Amino acid sequence: MSSTAAVAAHGAHAEHHELGFLRTYVFSEDHKMIARQFLFLALFMMSIGGLMAMLMRWELAFPETPVPGFHWMPEPYMYDGAIPPNTYNGMFTMHATIMIFFVVMPILVGCFGNFLIPLMIGARDMAFPKLNMLSFWVGAVAGVIMLSSFFVTGGPAAAGWTSYAPLSAVPIYTGVDWGQDLWCISIIVLGASSLMGSINYITTIVNMRTKGMYFFRLPLVIWSLFITAILLLLALPVLTTALALLLFDRMGGTHFFLPAGGGEPLLWQHLFWFFGHPEVYIMILPAMGIASDIIATFSRKPIFGYRSMAYAMATIAFLSWIVWGHHMFQSGMDPALGSSFMITTMVIGVPSAIKTFNWLGTLYKGNIHYTTAMLNALAFVAMFVIGGLSGVWMACTPVDMYIHDTYFIVAHIHYVLFGGSLFGVFAGVTYWYPKMFGRMMNETLGKIHFWITFVAFNCTFFPMHILGMGGHMRRIYNPMQYDFLKPLQGINIFISISAFVLGAAQFIFLANIIYSYFKGAKAPENPWHANTLEWTAPSPPGHGNWPGALPTVYRGPYEYSSPEVAEDYLPQSQLLEHSTAAAD
Amino acid sequence: MARALTASTAKIRPFVAPVRRGGAGSDAASGGDRGERRFISNGMIAILMVIASEMMLFSGLIGSFLIFRLQAAFWPPPTLPRLPIAITWVNTFVLLSSAVTMGLAVRAVHQSRQRLTRRYLGLTLALGVTFLAVQGSEWVRLVAHGLKLSSGSYGGTFYILIGCHGAHVTAGVIWLACVAMAAMRGRYNARNAGGVELCAVYWFFVCAIWPLLFGLVYLM
Amino acid sequence: MLEHLWFPHDISTFGPQIDWLFELIFWIVMIVWIATMITMVVFMVRYRTRPGRKAEYIEGSSRLEIIWTTATAVILVILAFLSRSTWADIKEHGPPGQVFYAVSAKQFNWEITYPGPDGKFGTKDDVTIENEMHVPVNKVVRIDLTSKDVIHSFFVPNMRLKQDAVPGRIIKVWFQATETGQYEIPCAELCGFGHSGMKGNLTVQSQEDFDKWLADQYAQAGK
Ligand code: HEA
Ligand code: HEA
Ligand code: CUA
Ligand SMILES: [Cu+2]
Repeated sequence: MSSTAAVAAHGAHAEHHELGFLRTYVFSEDHKMIARQFLFLALFMMSIGGLMAMLMRWELAFPETPVPGFHWMPEPYMYDGAIPPNTYNGMFTMHATIMIFFVVMPILVGCFGNFLIPLMIGARDMAFPKLNMLSFWVGAVAGVIMLSSFFVTGGPAAAGWTSYAPLSAVPIYTGVDWGQDLWCISIIVLGASSLMGSINYITTIVNMRTKGMYFFRLPLVIWSLFITAILLLLALPVLTTALALLLFDRMGGTHFFLPAGGGEPLLWQHLFWFFGHPEVYIMILPAMGIASDIIATFSRKPIFGYRSMAYAMATIAFLSWIVWGHHMFQSGMDPALGSSFMITTMVIGVPSAIKTFNWLGTLYKGNIHYTTAMLNALAFVAMFVIGGLSGVWMACTPVDMYIHDTYFIVAHIHYVLFGGSLFGVFAGVTYWYPKMFGRMMNETLGKIHFWITFVAFNCTFFPMHILGMGGHMRRIYNPMQYDFLKPLQGINIFISISAFVLGAAQFIFLANIIYSYFKGAKAPENPWHANTLEWTAPSPPGHGNWPGALPTVYRGPYEYSSPEVAEDYLPQSQLLEHSTAAAD
Repeated sequence: MARALTASTAKIRPFVAPVRRGGAGSDAASGGDRGERRFISNGMIAILMVIASEMMLFSGLIGSFLIFRLQAAFWPPPTLPRLPIAITWVNTFVLLSSAVTMGLAVRAVHQSRQRLTRRYLGLTLALGVTFLAVQGSEWVRLVAHGLKLSSGSYGGTFYILIGCHGAHVTAGVIWLACVAMAAMRGRYNARNAGGVELCAVYWFFVCAIWPLLFGLVYLM
Repeated sequence: MLEHLWFPHDISTFGPQIDWLFELIFWIVMIVWIATMITMVVFMVRYRTRPGRKAEYIEGSSRLEIIWTTATAVILVILAFLSRSTWADIKEHGPPGQVFYAVSAKQFNWEITYPGPDGKFGTKDDVTIENEMHVPVNKVVRIDLTSKDVIHSFFVPNMRLKQDAVPGRIIKVWFQATETGQYEIPCAELCGFGHSGMKGNLTVQSQEDFDKWLADQYAQAGK
């Protein structure tokens, strides 16, 4: 622990010169630096995942016409700029894989988890800083492996992000050889990275809370990260199992998923979705936590039903283990089993209802400040509700028979993942940017980005519900091959155009991040007048977070507009004379 | 304490690293700086979490195994060799006794009895290695008799499941070796037993999961 | 254009039940959604910040929470039980078959096997035709669905019918077409580079036309 030793010797800020460039910016053990690294990794990956999406949209709008500016692409990836089917399959596979495993998870869990946990619970750093650093670099290696699969012969994995066997289990079925293997390996490696991360988070939250920071004084975002970490810890190993078996089928000559050799194709789906469904909540819970904190802060009001919000997240986490079958209603799984999965899936709407209505309750009689962060947080709520409600149709087995594997599902995916997770990310980044980089993020740029994104997002993904109702299958590269889809092509073109706008808008976000880093106004310690502990540290916090002693906590995180004080906020660590709320 | 809002202007004070090597020893290390006292050390939580996820890993494999096992008409398929029951019984006994010696090592270290600790750690290590050696030689014989990874779900599940456990034992043995070596240098005593405890917990897990696998894969 | 913004025309017996459930959920969801959005917007406008204003210190209300939790739970559970019977009719039991086919998917075609004059499968007078499925109208058609390589999905949009075809198992599917006409059988599960464009034609025709067509097929096949 030489770095911390260095602090001990030289105090908070000296250690930067002490450690030198490499130890400070590259192999840093400081949770704040690691958080930034995760953020930039994710943004970079997002540009690639987004590019894939843009190409897909072009293909769907103007099938088999060359993509402008892509004539240079070598065969067989593209033919004079035109996208062949296998490349298209590779694109949505990599698009989804990258967006899920290398964008949403790194930002929500990697970046916010690392940055917020120590700062919000009042700790100097993570419990295991070295492990933390390792976690990032192992993740980065996984990213490199994933990207390298673009360049191997046969191209990247093309069996969908769900990689259903036997399609994914035998190279000749997809024509993809190394791509699929690298895909499996990359995700196994990423799993190891997330495992280190979640162990760190859990240990830190359980053991390193500062004086007076009881569990029910934790901000909801910490609650969400805690629950997410547990989900990660228990869900990823199951995926690892599945991937290992798949790799053995591909390379070791086994037949776990190949009926020819006595294998069981549905086994893959059961293993994958047993991981897969918890995974989707891994991607929404932290966003829910972020939204809760931001909405409370800018409504200047305590979060409505703090405890039930925490319990609701725990319930969602628990239920997420018994609903995986809802992805397999039409897979040939015993229909009676399907019925029971339908019921559990319906029930999972209940805790989500609690959260939704509590967010609304938080706005009630508030004093709402419309900052960019707040706008994004509110958009999160609205979009998550739409995405969640579309889940009710799919949960209904007979209806799912029709809309399964159509664009109705694609619409759902994006309303929960972009409308949910990504709006949560936008909100979180703008909200904590001052603490992360010591400068305010530009509000004008932020609002421009928000409005364009919000409108373009809905124009892109809402019509997909209609496509889905029209029977438009997912994962097809040319809808014009089907007579019954020809009348819907107009919608496809409309979607694509808005998708391009949506994509372009993301560069505003990126530009804002870069611009504000150099030109943004210097951030005060507590720009939003928020209550949680991170705002009592300098912006940005030095090594060890608090120059002086660690803050002591005297109350819950959401004491806004409390009658106890004149101001409309009351920091957790602020001691009131003759206050009844004692530290312990 | 004073209002933390103004704390940043306060004089910069050094702090002690929250965690020292060996994890469990860290309680003392993370001195008065942080409040909430710990009932369980960082290292212990971490290792328990690792074990939790390992359990999910194994339940994934065991689940897959059961699916094949239960829908198979013949198990093992008549053409393939039977698994060596007798010797594996012995081997099971070897592994379980290693758990006992590990427990004794922990007790010894709590009594700060260095020599006894070393002896028990060494004994555990020896038993672990024996287990691996026997497993290895049995695998060689099985392969020679034609039971391959690729020979149906019977061969596949056997090698994956038992191999996965073998890998865990190997990892345990390596860790055990490191702990034993540190013990030689007299690193551990009643006040600083973390290193041994963590290793022991992991070792208990590796031993505890084996009878289950033995019962399922060999006896069932 | 506009008529395409809802479902494709339905020609199956269970289609109406599915559409009914869809529309039921549609209305439930619409009410919930509009209610939540209106409340949200009203709050956003009414409680926007104004100088000198302080928010009211409200920590929550167990009563309200209990109300909306139970309300949601009741709605959803009722929904689940409403769906159960329809699902059971379509996928679990269903009427006895009158016409029988064996359909086997392979990259990237549907192989439809007609039992031949003797009405039995596995006999040498079976006739297998790729991507051309003819069925008599108003007859219960029963299909033994399987696949030769990867997973495909037998999808008839006009019947709301979808069932994955899984290699190594035979899955029973049934439907009863109520109108004659030409329809498509796209494959709905990703099955490789030919997934897009893998489709068969479904011809629903009167019993006479069907018999005539079938006879021709047998004749061509020399049975
Ligand atoms: C962040 C990710 C996320 C989240 C949060 C969810 C949330 C939910 N999902 Fe979704 N889902 C995905 C990501 C996500 N999903 C992805 C990626 C896929 C596709 C995978 C693939 O095949 O590629 C998928 C697929 C998917 C399917 C499979 C569809 C198919 O392939 O045929 C189903 C089926 O039941 C489903 C259901 C649900 C349900 C019921 C919820 C519930 O949790 C939603 C609960 C929320 C609400 C219900 C709204 C708020 C509640 C109220 C306003 C109260 C009032 C409501 C009522 C009275 C109804 N999802
Ligand atoms: C978090 C998850 C996520 C996100 C954010 C997105 C974002 C988008 N997705 Fe996707 N999508 C999925 C998850 C996601 N998707 C999944 C899981 C599937 C299923 C795959 C499968 O079937 O297997 C899917 C499938 C899918 C399909 C269906 C493909 C098919 O079935 O044939 C389509 C089609 O339109 C689509 C489109 C889009 C579009 C237009 C966006 C746009 O919103 C993208 C906009 C963003 C950008 C364009 C990036 C912007 C650039 C930057 C931010 C700059 C970056 C920084 C630097 C340059 C340093 N997605
Ligand atoms: Cu066959 Cu898709
Ligand atoms: Cu799911």
